[in-house]
Amino acid sequence: MKKRLYIELENCIGCRSCLAACTQCGGHEQRNRNYVYDVNPHVNRQTMPLMCLHCENPACARSCPAQAIQIHESGAVLSALVEKCIGCQNCTIACPYGIPKFDEEQNLMYKCDLCIDRTKDGIPPMCASVCPSNTLQWLTEGEIEKKQEQHNLDNGKWVTSMPYLEGATNVKVNLPGILQGTEKLF
Amino acid sequence: MQRDKFFRDIENVTHPNEKLVKTHCSYCGMQCGMNLRVNTSSNKIIGVEPRYDWPVTVGKMCPKGVTAYQQTNHPDRILRPLIRDDASLKGTKEGFREASWEEAYQLIAKKFGELQSEYGKDSLSVFSGVSMTNEKCYLTGKFARVALGTRYIDYNGRFCMSSAAGGFLRSFGVDRGSTLPWTDIHETDCLFIAGSNTAECHPTSMFRVWNVQERGGYIIVVDPRETPLARRADVHLDLKPGTDLALANGILHLLIENGYADESFVNDHTNGFEETKEVVKEFTPEYTSILTGVSPEKIMKAAEIYGKAPNAIVMFARGIEQQHKGVDNVSAYTNMALVTGKIGRPKAGVATFTGQGNGQGGREHGQKSDLLPGYRKITNPEHVKAVSKVWGINPEEMPKPGVSAYEMFELMEQKTIRGLYLLCSNPAVSAPNLNFVRKAMKNLDFMVCGDFYLSESAEFADVILPSVTWSEDEGTVTNIEGRIIKINQAQEPIGESKPDWLMQVELAEHLGKGKYFSHLKTARDVADEFRLATKGGNADYYGATWDKIDQQDGVFWPCKDEQDKGTPHMFLDQKFYHPDGKAKICALPYRPPAEEPCEKYPLRLTTGRVVYHYLSGNQTRRIQFLNDMCPEPYVEVHPETAHEYDLEHDEKIVLYTRRGKAVYKVKVTEAIRTDTVFVPYHFGHDESINLLTIAALDPISRMPEFKACAAQMQKLPSKKVL
Repeated sequence: MKKRLYIELENCIGCRSCLAACTQCGGHEQRNRNYVYDVNPHVNRQTMPLMCLHCENPACARSCPAQAIQIHESGAVLSALVEKCIGCQNCTIACPYGIPKFDEEQNLMYKCDLCIDRTKDGIPPMCASVCPSNTLQWLTEGEIEKKQEQHNLDNGKWVTSMPYLEGATNVKVNLPGILQGTEKLF
Repeated sequence: MQRDKFFRDIENVTHPNEKLVKTHCSYCGMQCGMNLRVNTSSNKIIGVEPRYDWPVTVGKMCPKGVTAYQQTNHPDRILRPLIRDDASLKGTKEGFREASWEEAYQLIAKKFGELQSEYGKDSLSVFSGVSMTNEKCYLTGKFARVALGTRYIDYNGRFCMSSAAGGFLRSFGVDRGSTLPWTDIHETDCLFIAGSNTAECHPTSMFRVWNVQERGGYIIVVDPRETPLARRADVHLDLKPGTDLALANGILHLLIENGYADESFVNDHTNGFEETKEVVKEFTPEYTSILTGVSPEKIMKAAEIYGKAPNAIVMFARGIEQQHKGVDNVSAYTNMALVTGKIGRPKAGVATFTGQGNGQGGREHGQKSDLLPGYRKITNPEHVKAVSKVWGINPEEMPKPGVSAYEMFELMEQKTIRGLYLLCSNPAVSAPNLNFVRKAMKNLDFMVCGDFYLSESAEFADVILPSVTWSEDEGTVTNIEGRIIKINQAQEPIGESKPDWLMQVELAEHLGKGKYFSHLKTARDVADEFRLATKGGNADYYGATWDKIDQQDGVFWPCKDEQDKGTPHMFLDQKFYHPDGKAKICALPYRPPAEEPCEKYPLRLTTGRVVYHYLSGNQTRRIQFLNDMCPEPYVEVHPETAHEYDLEHDEKIVLYTRRGKAVYKVKVTEAIRTDTVFVPYHFGHDESINLLTIAALDPISRMPEFKACAAQMQKLPSKKVL
């Protein structure tokens, strides 16, 4: 069954397990390709993970003059092909999320490939495998729809950005505040 | 074994020329399930793969867990025994030469023999830890009492778990850190978490914790800092460090006052309610607020939520335990569950977060100065008789109780203790009042240290014995829930390193005590003798065979025999372990911290952990990813306090207490109280915050007050630019 990465931002505890796990994925050469940002470091150290959103029409691939960035049939936007990448860094400038990074030594771009060697077989990417706070989840389309129903409230008070912000990406993100609508048990 | 909603039915990834070895993390009490990836041609561990089939953590790991495998083949490993001939170099990394095992053993036997013949049996001591298997913990206790014949053995659980043990023993008559399995946590209605930075210290609990809120349940957090858990809590009780007892009494008062007490449970299954009711009477929200600094409204809100919750779990950790009234704090928070009857059924109870890998098992099997395997007391003649029979000694030969961890250093300083065998612990970083502790270690005539890295404590040793990492040995560990689990060997020991149990068997032979130890040829032999030694004790492991552990995804103690499947939920029959079957509700008058702020030391200093490091940092500071994430300690200061002291973020300050001083970088953050500063304790030498902490001990658990003392902060004068 097709699954997608789903990010529940409010759960993030800033442990950076996702970064550590990323280094463990085959072919990632001990280098992480995802990031965790301090949202307000001097206040309460709230953090948020920043993963590649695997856009359906990715700016990184569109901007690549060498067609080095391939899109897998699952929707994963892959890291630059070694034999094609010319090191121009257009992709790193084009991406609105700052995901592709540049390796000066190898003159090569590297980015999250959604652990394609795992996800092509239905196994969660390493970041979502280990995430101890369920910030990163690996869900079926049906499970994501349920989340969406749960969080798009009909009370006029609050609504998530879904599906508007992420309409064109393969990774789904909720915006903080989802618990505002949770009905308390007692 | 039950599979809960988080269980993930996912096949593991395997690569060509690789095998996966199922085991558990080497660090905290969560003992997350993981697979070690082993290259089948080199037989070396090369990586990690989540273990989705482990019911407690379903493949989840924190950054320490993900990188734990890197410690085994790390270049810093000690591969051969080391001897230092020049004692003047003690306290440094210098002067060690490689030696053979035989030379090391002979030297130790000779020196230990000389000290004992000149100064008596009790001139030797053993200081151990609980990051090791049950089998090693058990054998260390036997080694001290049978091979060395000394009364002085204790362990670093005194800096970690002993207050929880003392509190549970007093309240329930038995000490199992959690009365329920972790797979219950997300199903409860209210989590009351006191003194636990769960997100950083036990991150793999968090998916269950957040789920309570996602279901509409409540989280109440007691913490002087706005930790990742506290900032999302429904109520954050931001108390002054060291005032937990007042807060717990205040909440108990409101629970009773507002009719949330379960009278029939209290009448049928507890003692001490009336006295307690009297004691907590004065703790009105207003009075509690004055003592704790928490607003009365928050205290009332917290009591109302906990009181109304159909099911609730009270959880706590070092924040309340590492105080000179840690045992009282544990009993005081446990009172909440007993008075409201929220215990003895699924989804409700009390649990402590275990800091060390085997914090639970390690305290049950005879490493503590007053305990023998299976929670037997060394002062009880019947208990001594039972264990002596297993060990093959006369009960009269059993040494008397010794003293607690910190007190052993006092005896070293006084030269009552002259020799030390230290293993699996790093007190030169983790003990309080370090200037004194380091002096005491330097004062020893002879010290042996078993470790796999040259730790700050090993720098004081005359002989270092190279141990193995967790992945090179096998055995059992008891996790945070009281679940006995199995650690499997993934790689043969590198260099000439050996498991600690094997060293102890061989050393016992050199000490002329071979007949009590030489039958132990494998870790499994030790396990079988160890299970037998616990038979009939409160912590009965007899039925927890290695095979059963594999078949059942772990076994909860007590597990008395082959037919017994173990005990995931404690007290389901509403029977507690005191002789009359009743639990004790404890009447606990308030005591302030041992050291209160004053004019000269106006701030409160508290200490704790960060997610990237484990205990003294001896292991995690060597792992590149973790060290990159947190390479040095810092002091958390509130912006208002920073302004008052004219400090900028990242500026350096000198922090003083009555015991010492150290220099730290300032981290300005609103996540701390204005009257409090926080420093993580994972760092050694001049950076260790324990140079400043106070060794005020709890009267029952002998736990030092790491969590509160009075401090002074001074801006470091900037050097003049010429």
